[in-house]
Amino acid sequence: MEPLDEELEESALELPSEPMQLNMGPAHPAMHGTVRIVLELSGETITKADVQIGYLHRGFEKMCERGTWTQCFPYVDRLNYVSPMLNNVGFALAVEKMLGVTVPERCQYYRVALGELARICDHLVCNGAMAMELGAFTPFLYCARAREIIWDIFEEETGARVTHSFGRVGGMARPPTAMFKDMVRSGLPRLLFMVGETEKLLLKNRIFLDRLEGVGRVSKETAFALGWTGPTLRSTGAAYDVRRAHPYLVYDRMEFDVPVGSAGDNYDRFMCRQEEIRQSVRILEQVLDQMPDSGPVNIDDPRIVLPPKEEVYTTIEGTIQHFKIVMEGVKVPAGECYSYTEAGNGELGFYLVSDGSGTPYRVRIRPPCFAAVAGLQQLIEGAMIPDVIPTFGSMNMIGGECDH
Amino acid sequence: MSLVVVVVALVKIIIMVGFLLNMAAIATWADRRQGAMVQDRVGPNRAVVTLPSIVVQALFVLPPGIFATFAGFAAVKGVPAAGVAESTLLALQASVFVTWFSLMVLCFVVRRKGAANGLDELVASWTPRSILVTGLAFHVVAFVVVSGMPAAQMPMASRVANGLLALIFACVGIYSAAKVPEGKVGIRLAGTLHAIADTIKMIWKEDFVPPKGDKILHSLAPILSVFPVLVTCAVIPFGRTLCFRDLNNNGFDFADIGSVMPAMGSTFQCPKGTAVPLQIADLNVGILYIFAMAGTGVIGAAIAGWASDNKWSLLGGLRAASQMVSYEVAMGISLISLLLIYGSVRLGPMVEWQSTHTWGIFVQPGAFVLFLVALLAETKRVPFDQPEGESEIVAGYFVEYSGMKWGMFMTGEYVEVITSSILLVTLFFGGYALPFLDPDGIRVAFGDNVLFTYKMNHVAVVVISAIAFFTKVIVMAWAQVFIRWTLPRFRYDQLMKLGWTRLLPLALGNMLVTAIVVLAVNGHADIEGALALVADVTQALIALGMLAAVLAFFFGIVEPVKRQKVLLSTAQKFAAAAGGVRMAPRQA
Repeated sequence: MEPLDEELEESALELPSEPMQLNMGPAHPAMHGTVRIVLELSGETITKADVQIGYLHRGFEKMCERGTWTQCFPYVDRLNYVSPMLNNVGFALAVEKMLGVTVPERCQYYRVALGELARICDHLVCNGAMAMELGAFTPFLYCARAREIIWDIFEEETGARVTHSFGRVGGMARPPTAMFKDMVRSGLPRLLFMVGETEKLLLKNRIFLDRLEGVGRVSKETAFALGWTGPTLRSTGAAYDVRRAHPYLVYDRMEFDVPVGSAGDNYDRFMCRQEEIRQSVRILEQVLDQMPDSGPVNIDDPRIVLPPKEEVYTTIEGTIQHFKIVMEGVKVPAGECYSYTEAGNGELGFYLVSDGSGTPYRVRIRPPCFAAVAGLQQLIEGAMIPDVIPTFGSMNMIGGECDH
Repeated sequence: MSLVVVVVALVKIIIMVGFLLNMAAIATWADRRQGAMVQDRVGPNRAVVTLPSIVVQALFVLPPGIFATFAGFAAVKGVPAAGVAESTLLALQASVFVTWFSLMVLCFVVRRKGAANGLDELVASWTPRSILVTGLAFHVVAFVVVSGMPAAQMPMASRVANGLLALIFACVGIYSAAKVPEGKVGIRLAGTLHAIADTIKMIWKEDFVPPKGDKILHSLAPILSVFPVLVTCAVIPFGRTLCFRDLNNNGFDFADIGSVMPAMGSTFQCPKGTAVPLQIADLNVGILYIFAMAGTGVIGAAIAGWASDNKWSLLGGLRAASQMVSYEVAMGISLISLLLIYGSVRLGPMVEWQSTHTWGIFVQPGAFVLFLVALLAETKRVPFDQPEGESEIVAGYFVEYSGMKWGMFMTGEYVEVITSSILLVTLFFGGYALPFLDPDGIRVAFGDNVLFTYKMNHVAVVVISAIAFFTKVIVMAWAQVFIRWTLPRFRYDQLMKLGWTRLLPLALGNMLVTAIVVLAVNGHADIEGALALVADVTQALIALGMLAAVLAFFFGIVEPVKRQKVLLSTAQKFAAAAGGVRMAPRQA
């Protein structure tokens, strides 16, 4: 009797198989509800990845065109809800660039101090969340407690813990409180202690290192081609930091190092952020030493800055001035500008167009993590599902600014 | 099989399963509490049972009342001559313990809630630490007094001591009941009720089955994952063998249950009568049964992954299957080196060996590490929680489960924590054995030099051994909760690499070396004698370590906690000035 399969071809005997399509996110614990990755899997290895953003799109740029320049500050807060103060400062600098004014020295120091505190916050959240998503919960809680120190300072300074809306065109909403320097001085050693504790828990841990080292590797050239900035770029070895390359505020008077990595993998990105925390602390210490204790914070220009409340209530000039700024907005001369600062994730740019009225004609943001997320696909293709987690975590994707 | 054997077996099963389920609930609570404590908040403690104060008073009076009745009974009726010395010592020590412990609790309560009378004020003026130290001093005094007492006075002394104990229990019960406030009283039991509340909630939640999932397998999987971990404990000895006398020479029956042997024979065997091992089933395959049962645990996870009709759970099920199968190999082989030394696969003789020589961890530290790693992988907890890693594959194989089915997976996981601690304790930490505690009392000896002996009642030894076993298990479970909160998880391929290329060769090598050493040592009396002395030294080290740990624990509890809070923001300063942050109003 003939064998049954005699006439069948070799290929017909194999089971038909097709790659597994897996939809990761937006409702996935590690995707923060803001991004979706469609994966094509062979086993657990990712053969194709399609990163899709847009789940947190709020029309920020369009919203800005409807209000005055000052009314944009609450919006920029919500661009990066992890370090809102840096966005506040960045936007204020952009508008001031168009106005052609410079804030008083005390305000410059104040902005640098608050900005560096926000940067530490940003890095703590990013690294802590990355560790937590890898399963190490306690380091995340340490980071959260360290961040709490900074949030307490922010609460005392601005009245809000997360979204401060504290920046103003031509200054800040309020001058620093009397306790500001003391609070920062007493908070920083405790913060550094907790950062050290976190590192102790993680950096001697073989499992943690194995998960990060050599994963999500990217070359310097690719990073430049993708338009990366910030810690993600510096981890590849390129020492580009806006604070150093194009100093703004008083960064040219500060002594600090720009930490760079060598391999451009997840470990380098993690370590770059850890080191930047320390450098920020260095900057903060210098700021506290150099910052004058008295002097004006806002520029002396009634067309830009709101008058003090007593004057609004008691003098006719004050009332009118207040009315004009609140109802019509600060009149920004017609023109356009691109202003960029170093935010937690990299270069945060604002491209502004003004038609001379009190309302922005166009506000365009250049979010640092948009470029980073654009490169995510090449980083995770060929890796495994578990590798997506630390790689995506080290991009520090913030939906608010990415989806613009 | 007579009825009495069945009843005794049922009692043992109830003890073991009751311990497992209760500890699983407490471990769940501790696991969640641990994270909360790092964050400086109280964690899950909101579940509360509100009772009328009369019921709470009854609850406070009842347990001391029962003990007081027993002690009073012993004082009036007298104790059998055989156990009179022990009874005196026990009653006296218990009196001292109950006194200082109650005073310490009272001290804490009064300091927090304010004094109501002169006694309260007096107690509040002491520090918990001074109460503890005085109590310990009294323990020593009581011991010296009883050891120095002539035998003729013993019966009287026993009555007096028991009477004192009854009096103290009665005082404690009544005084604590008097402290219960009027009206409705909420009972929280330090938050442990939360686990019960969670269970009730889970039972009433919607039981969702995916429309395209396999309905039968979907329901079967949780059962298959709980069942094996529960039955694993059937062969674990949780205390020394109990010996009953045969009163009417007709074998073991209900009449014999009341008469436990007062003392063991010189050979540590039951001289006459019935030996009841504190072990649900003394199977001759012993540890092989455990492997067989633990191996079936993977089926539940794999089926759950398949039946859920979800790609994430499929991935989880696949990971669970391959991970558990791989690590079982290393786990089994790492234990063979231990079996070579113990010379048995039955758990009873293993613990017996550890009780006469030394704990397994000193004999086979390498095997301990390998076994611990493999065991953690088997329990599917961090750092080996790939099958359910929530940030990677959402929740793995039980992503499509809800309600009590999900609860059963969780119960299974936490019972597994306890089961694995039980295994660790039985194989490496001496099971129920305590250093220098022989079946007939304490005997401190190094080789042939006997330093100290103290005869003890058979029941006392059995009870102490059972308590020692369960305490060790709790400590091990606590350590596992710590591991879970500290370590990140492996990547799936790294995990497999660790299992097959590190653990397995190491286990094989360890087995080989052990076999050679066992062969070499076997039959050389001088080497064996030297090893026995080393074993006694390690026992002494354990004893000292345990003593230090217990003292440190008590002193740690009474140590006043120094909390340094730095208040930065105005809101915090206002809150602190107003006496701290108010708790949110409790929901009904």
